[in-house]
Amino acid sequence: MIAPVAYENILVEIEAPIATITLNRPKVLNALSPDLIREVNEALGELDADEQVKAVVLTGGPKVFAAGADIGDMADRTAVDQLRRDQTGRWAGIAAFSKPLIAAVNGYALGGGCELALMCDLIIAGDTARLGQPEINLGIIPGAGGTQRWPRTAGKYAAMEAMLSGAPVTARRAYELGLVNKVVPAEMAFEVAKRTARGLAEKPPLALRMAKEAVLKAFESPLSEGLAAERKSFYFLFSTEDQKEGMHAFLEKRKGVFKGR
Amino acid sequence: MATTEVEQHVMVRIHDGVGLIQLNRPEKMNAIGALTRKQLGDAIKQVERDDAVRVVVLTGSGRAFCSGADVTEMAQGDGGMRTPEDVGNVLRNEYMPMLTRLRTMPKPVIAAMNGPAVGIGASYALACDIRIATPEAYILEAFVNIGLAPDGGVSWLLPRLAGTGIAYEMFFTGKPLQAVDAHRLGVINRLVPADRLEAEVRELAGHLATQPKGAMAGAKRAVTHALESSYEEALEFESYLQEAQAASPEFAEGVQAFLAKRSKK
Repeated sequence: MIAPVAYENILVEIEAPIATITLNRPKVLNALSPDLIREVNEALGELDADEQVKAVVLTGGPKVFAAGADIGDMADRTAVDQLRRDQTGRWAGIAAFSKPLIAAVNGYALGGGCELALMCDLIIAGDTARLGQPEINLGIIPGAGGTQRWPRTAGKYAAMEAMLSGAPVTARRAYELGLVNKVVPAEMAFEVAKRTARGLAEKPPLALRMAKEAVLKAFESPLSEGLAAERKSFYFLFSTEDQKEGMHAFLEKRKGVFKGR
Repeated sequence: MATTEVEQHVMVRIHDGVGLIQLNRPEKMNAIGALTRKQLGDAIKQVERDDAVRVVVLTGSGRAFCSGADVTEMAQGDGGMRTPEDVGNVLRNEYMPMLTRLRTMPKPVIAAMNGPAVGIGASYALACDIRIATPEAYILEAFVNIGLAPDGGVSWLLPRLAGTGIAYEMFFTGKPLQAVDAHRLGVINRLVPADRLEAEVRELAGHLATQPKGAMAGAKRAVTHALESSYEEALEFESYLQEAQAASPEFAEGVQAFLAKRSKK
């Protein structure tokens, strides 16, 4: 079932149990404008509330994921302009999104585009993908998490190289660095991401949500705190119908059917 | 027939789906100087981007395929190679992108080895997908003879094509691998008399120009990916590539032609 929702900078398509968000400013290589960011956040808010949607794919289409922000718009702005607008800080919709979010990355994911991909839970890269943070060449640095998420995933030295040199890495190198989950032929990236989403859509939603929260907690807290949070979620899940269904299905050697309760 | 003359060191001819790049310095055994590098780089880019080109052929003119870097020019400090750092920069900034493009462009590339391929000339021959050579041809990694180590990708290519033992022997001795031996080792696909080379290459290139181009491009993507991957990663990458190809008009036509026992359109 396809239920298109009207946005100007993105396309949202619901094919229950999954949905896809396609960044749709092809003329400017999907540059991240304030309006686009607002729409992505809004769409994620709606999809989070939509019970028929269990997982979401975020893509920029077959040619480019997103090549940064609109530099023409930024060139003559002041620090105060930027602070008041706080474009790079406005990703609350992704931070709050409780379901699996999978990026399908083809072509360039640069600057804010790369940071957006790194905010997702899984990344499927086409073999022509290039990920990088070229901000340094413009006299600035990444502003939407690049300097923080790269080292947490790829380590200090690969992150430093990316931030200081501004040079993008190939899909293959990104895979070696652990920045992407899988490299597939470019024309298959979107499809593989959708299949991955459909696969996750069959899993118990509450456990998915707790698992996602727990992994993200690992980036935010000391080990003891993360372990405590994990244990609480672990115990909590024993209060769900899905846990009973999952364990009984396992014992009865059948596939569990989960309701998110 | 469209003929484009890229100044003088390199000729590009495009005809019936075949893009022929010919080194054109017979008096210098097709040595590669600064101008040649520039023109060859442009020529490789041109045939890669031109959709009318389905197959690429790289060859020399006169007696040699390519005698390598223009050492006279190097010794005179011309050609942008005055210092050791210049040498490194030329390898990184000029040869590297050009050789990578040659090896990974999504169409078959045939080296028509009309004679010796030496130094960087050998790198070009070995970066091609298929080699057809005359018995007068040889591959020579001459670097050691002038006190240099191998470059132009041969440290990667030659061990894969000939095995490490042969590669090391060539790198250490600076002695040529004759076409007949290279053929025996599988480094050269076909060995043909000099007067048959052009016809043989034309026939193969002409045949490949009629083959499904997506399927051939897929083979190059698969091999390029596989050479950097584990067996399992290669199997998985192939499986997705095959899905894309199985959805293509090429496959539909191939199956129809097979069932109707006719040749592909």
